[in-house]
Amino acid sequence: MQLGGMLYGSKLLKMIDFPHPEVLGPEATNAEIKDLIDRHRKIVIKPVFYGALGKKGKAGLVASADHLAQALREKERLFFAEHGSDERKVKASGVTYEAFVPSEHEVYVSISDSTRFRAPTLTITHHGGVDVEDVDADRVAQVPFDPLTGLKAFVISNALSDLKAPRQIVSPLAQYLPRLWDLVHGFGISSLEINPIRLGEESAGRLLPMACDFKCAFDRDDTRTGRLDLPADLLSYDLSEFEAEINKLRTHQGQSDVYVVNPGGTVLAPTFGGGANSLVSEILGDDAIISSDFGGNPPYTKMRDVARSCFSHWLMGANVLLIIGGKSNNTDIFTTFKAMADALRAHFGECGPTPLYVVVGRGGPNLVQGMAALRDTVDELRLPYRFFGPDSAIGEVVNYAREADQWMKNGGRELVARSLGVEPVGIDA
Amino acid sequence: MIAKGLAAFKYFVGIDDLGRVATRNDTICVLNILGAESRGVTPLSHSFSGGNVMFGTSLGRGGQTLETSAGPIPVFNNVREGLDAGYAFNTGVVYLPPAGVRDGVAELVRVNPQLRKVVIITEKVSLHDAREIRAIAQANGIDVFGANCLGIADSWNRVRIGGALGGDSPDDTLLKGSIAIYSNSGSFTSTIANYLATAGWGTTTLISSGKDVYIHFAAAEFVYAADRDDRTKAAVMYIEPGGYYEQDLGFGKPLVVCIGGRWKSKITRAVGHAGAIAGLGDGAESKEEWFKMMLGVERLFTPHDPCFSERGAIVVDIADLPAALSSVMSLQGIRPDFSPRGNLSLKPWFGNSRGLPLPASLDLPLVRPDAPYDQQIAQVERQLGATFARQNMKDCSGASLLEARTQTGRLHGVGVFDAAAAPFEANLCLAVLRETIDTNAGKLVNTALAYYANLHHDPILTAVDTARSAGNSPNTVLSTAALLLGRGRIDRIRKGVDHFIDLFGITILDAAEADFDFTSVRVDELFRDTAVEPATEGLLRALDARGAQSAFIRYLKSLEHPVSVDAVMAAIAATVIWGPLRRRRISRVTAANFPWYLALYGVLIGASANTADHGKDSFCGIPNAELLSSWSATDLAALTLLGRRPNEEDIEVIRVLFGLLLTNGPGTISAQGAKGAVSADGPETPERVQINKAFAGFLTHTGFSHGGNGYEGIGFLLELFEGVPLEDPGAEHGLDLVAMARRFASVYGAEKINRREGGGSARAIPGVNHPVFRGAAVNVDPREVYLRETFERRGHRNVFHEFYCVLVRTLFESGITRETFCVNVDGVIAAWLLKLLWPALKSGKARTEDLEAAAFHLFLFARMAGCAAEIDDHINRGRNMDTRTPVSNCRFLS
Repeated sequence: MQLGGMLYGSKLLKMIDFPHPEVLGPEATNAEIKDLIDRHRKIVIKPVFYGALGKKGKAGLVASADHLAQALREKERLFFAEHGSDERKVKASGVTYEAFVPSEHEVYVSISDSTRFRAPTLTITHHGGVDVEDVDADRVAQVPFDPLTGLKAFVISNALSDLKAPRQIVSPLAQYLPRLWDLVHGFGISSLEINPIRLGEESAGRLLPMACDFKCAFDRDDTRTGRLDLPADLLSYDLSEFEAEINKLRTHQGQSDVYVVNPGGTVLAPTFGGGANSLVSEILGDDAIISSDFGGNPPYTKMRDVARSCFSHWLMGANVLLIIGGKSNNTDIFTTFKAMADALRAHFGECGPTPLYVVVGRGGPNLVQGMAALRDTVDELRLPYRFFGPDSAIGEVVNYAREADQWMKNGGRELVARSLGVEPVGIDA
Repeated sequence: MIAKGLAAFKYFVGIDDLGRVATRNDTICVLNILGAESRGVTPLSHSFSGGNVMFGTSLGRGGQTLETSAGPIPVFNNVREGLDAGYAFNTGVVYLPPAGVRDGVAELVRVNPQLRKVVIITEKVSLHDAREIRAIAQANGIDVFGANCLGIADSWNRVRIGGALGGDSPDDTLLKGSIAIYSNSGSFTSTIANYLATAGWGTTTLISSGKDVYIHFAAAEFVYAADRDDRTKAAVMYIEPGGYYEQDLGFGKPLVVCIGGRWKSKITRAVGHAGAIAGLGDGAESKEEWFKMMLGVERLFTPHDPCFSERGAIVVDIADLPAALSSVMSLQGIRPDFSPRGNLSLKPWFGNSRGLPLPASLDLPLVRPDAPYDQQIAQVERQLGATFARQNMKDCSGASLLEARTQTGRLHGVGVFDAAAAPFEANLCLAVLRETIDTNAGKLVNTALAYYANLHHDPILTAVDTARSAGNSPNTVLSTAALLLGRGRIDRIRKGVDHFIDLFGITILDAAEADFDFTSVRVDELFRDTAVEPATEGLLRALDARGAQSAFIRYLKSLEHPVSVDAVMAAIAATVIWGPLRRRRISRVTAANFPWYLALYGVLIGASANTADHGKDSFCGIPNAELLSSWSATDLAALTLLGRRPNEEDIEVIRVLFGLLLTNGPGTISAQGAKGAVSADGPETPERVQINKAFAGFLTHTGFSHGGNGYEGIGFLLELFEGVPLEDPGAEHGLDLVAMARRFASVYGAEKINRREGGGSARAIPGVNHPVFRGAAVNVDPREVYLRETFERRGHRNVFHEFYCVLVRTLFESGITRETFCVNVDGVIAAWLLKLLWPALKSGKARTEDLEAAAFHLFLFARMAGCAAEIDDHINRGRNMDTRTPVSNCRFLS
């Protein structure tokens, strides 16, 4: 859940009356663009990417124009520009036209929670406008502050004094930057970065900090994000249909975190516990369809709905259903296994049988009852299976599942399909 | 502002020795102690730890207690009340929902100056609140564990605080030894302890740190305290990416660390642990480098390349921790705490290769695990039938579902359209058995239902007659019948089913199988009768006539003495439940109750007929012998609804209507009535639940508005078709339905205006004023469409149904309604039942009130199956009194 750029950044900044240049969105008419240039003499044109992609400037994706024809040429170039690495390439969804702010000073500011200080921390340098990692450490100040009293002006002025920042920028920054904390703490933001803040001259000769770019991440466990009234799809742009479906089931009772690793993977591994998630995802690699954590003692109905969603999206293409977790402390294994068994039975009932090898590695309360319930179902569905208890190493169980997957890929899937009386469709056999 | 703590830290840390993390002197207050999570975990933690929970809080539930084997824990509305009552504590455990955690911590800190520790179990605490919790705790000198953790434990002190380290058998996990465990993963905390035992290592203190962005008692605090704990000879850590908590650790004892989550560098948002996502320089690889430097190792420890030093080792799989630890400790000259317990090799407990040619590495033989699992497996192998998890079933159902998209119901996975194609007896059984029955089971069930329907000389008939003559509605009359069919009347049959299960449970695979040697089976008095009863003879003859197969009936016939009707009914029921029970689709409770459902089904169908129709030798004019030996449940129900021998079209129409009306999900008033009745009896003691009373709950939660609308629909149609020349509603009628509809629309429109001007609202039109898809251009009830199209294909016409369709269109086109109303299923019941009964009405054989009652009965018969499903489901899954509404959700209106 990240947000970058001034299209929405300007709206958020407006909520705290933080100065920013005038911004036109992708829908701006030629007349509006020309008017913006006429009033500000120069504008900056940037592609709009959902999420918070950085390093646009380095990639040549930030342009300026001082007349309409030039602006339109840059619009054409940037409107559907692509950015990012080969693994994660993102296409622009239009451009913004932002009034240029002439300034001699560019400041970098971010607020995030530091695990070194274990407190919200202001990072600031007056050598902004570039990646902060490229700035020498002694030119950057990192100052933790008390969340109960908030980011105060003296924190900022002290930091800038330590950095020996130009005197004329201290007062305006000390006056305006505390407002950013209101945005962070009051609206469910987990980190905020503004780079650069350009200090333009106000009429009285005084400097005014103007936020010229915006990047933030949201805490998905904080309902305060709802106060921003942002379009729902803006924060779920990178979620697949499946991930969005599981997200809807997200409650405080039980985890329901998923990440689609490889839609073409062949091991569907509903995983219980954050530790197991790390281990299983590590061992399975791209054989895994999803990485998940469904632990935290989910109630029956939630677990059944989560399993139903997993099965409807992925079971057809899976060779192995691997239900895996450590020795749970409080997750009721009978409840979770019964829910998954019922969802599996319902899926076969609705969609017909699909060739599958079922592997379980688990421990915890009511384990044997849970395994028995699942055993009854897979027996009824005539699937091959092996269930392992907590006396088998979890990593070895995952390796067993990988071997079962290999066997399925090497002709086993066809044999299982034949035993079920169905075609081995779904993956390349 | 930061309170003064240990000098070694720039921030507050109070605990300087792991031996002080969880002690027998710690006294605890649990916030939200009666929440679902705490209720399951706290009693065992309390008992295991010697009764360390002083009291708990639960808003609005002050005065209650939480029962534990170490005595009840008092519950107060808030912390101050508990303190005022004289209870003291130094540790708070927080089980509040995420939004309440910060305020809960603030409450603990503000009202209790003795507070020293807080353990936060709750997951998904917002970063906003975590920041403030940190600040509050730092200012007040409190050590915080969590959030999103599973608590802390000490194997030496035999204490666990918060969470549930060691699960439901902490003694198996918290084995006294010399190793301290710190884990970012809650379940791995226990798993690692169990793994270490396989190499003979026990534990001192175990800390589930949680892995949110804020970790309060983190790695630095842990190693500092471990260094000062004389019991601890070495430490094991499980660490995930994200955060700098483990950078620059200083530890004077051996340390083996497992670093997971290299893969997480590829992801852009956290999965599982909120804080387990790397930023710049705090990924798994970076952490490996930190620990390599600290421990003086160049590579990771693997079984094939065991790289370790005196100071420690790094692994990536927790299964390698025991070997790595033993290697490091051997360099230190420290021997394990006890003999190794088990090993971590692959040991499948359950498995089936299905006869597939699996390679040996996959085709692993099953292994009988150690205690207590071996005994548990032996127990489930002996267990017959399913077990269901209990939970709050208010507004929930494991039986039915109303699909939001199609607005159609499903019962045990069978959609109402599929149910409409199945015979009534199949749906009646589906409701309780959770699967469809075969033809043989159908024959057995139909015989039983036909037997129960005739109430000649049964006091139920007198009661029903009295209720009916007192002017009660059909549902009220039937509930009288249900209430008289109490446990006492059915108990011998229930016991008989139980006895059959006990006698044959392990040996018989197929209850209909032909060859079975009964000689070794002990005869039970339950099955004995003093003389040969004609009723028993009649039942057995009928079963023979149908060709019904049952090993249990054959067993009864093999006995040398006469058997009772109850014995035959038990044999019938046992045969039908046998497959679902062996397949563990149903529980033993359901199996024993099945004959009660059968009796209720049959009696309610029978009780809907007039008293005069119950004869000694016949029912509704049909000889008993014929009914018993050849009639189906659909035929029987059609007979009572129409009051005459039904023809093929009658049966098809009624069968389809039964299927379509089967269920509308657990939210319907009738289902709520049934569930409420179960809940009030207490399903956690299932043998106490009175199924007949639950049927009465369903029946009394139907009425003129719910279930009786078809009843009103017939009245509405009769009013509109009064004086209309119509001989056969299924033939070419020549009527101008549009003109009829316009006439009604005009009258209705004027009436609507008059009523509105008078401050009222327009009367509802039975069968049409129920928009299913509100606001849609075409508004239809899918069940109405299914029935219309099905019967059109078969050439069945119905002028009343046609009229209803014309009417809703006309009402919209003439502007009387703002949107197109649908013809709902009540309209369909009215239209089709009126068609079937039209000849009787025209000839004077049926009265208007008979038609109206038939419409009501039709709904009740169908929903009888749907509600039986809810009743059985609630008995198996529900909790006592779980349908009540919390006081906080109730409102007083002045």
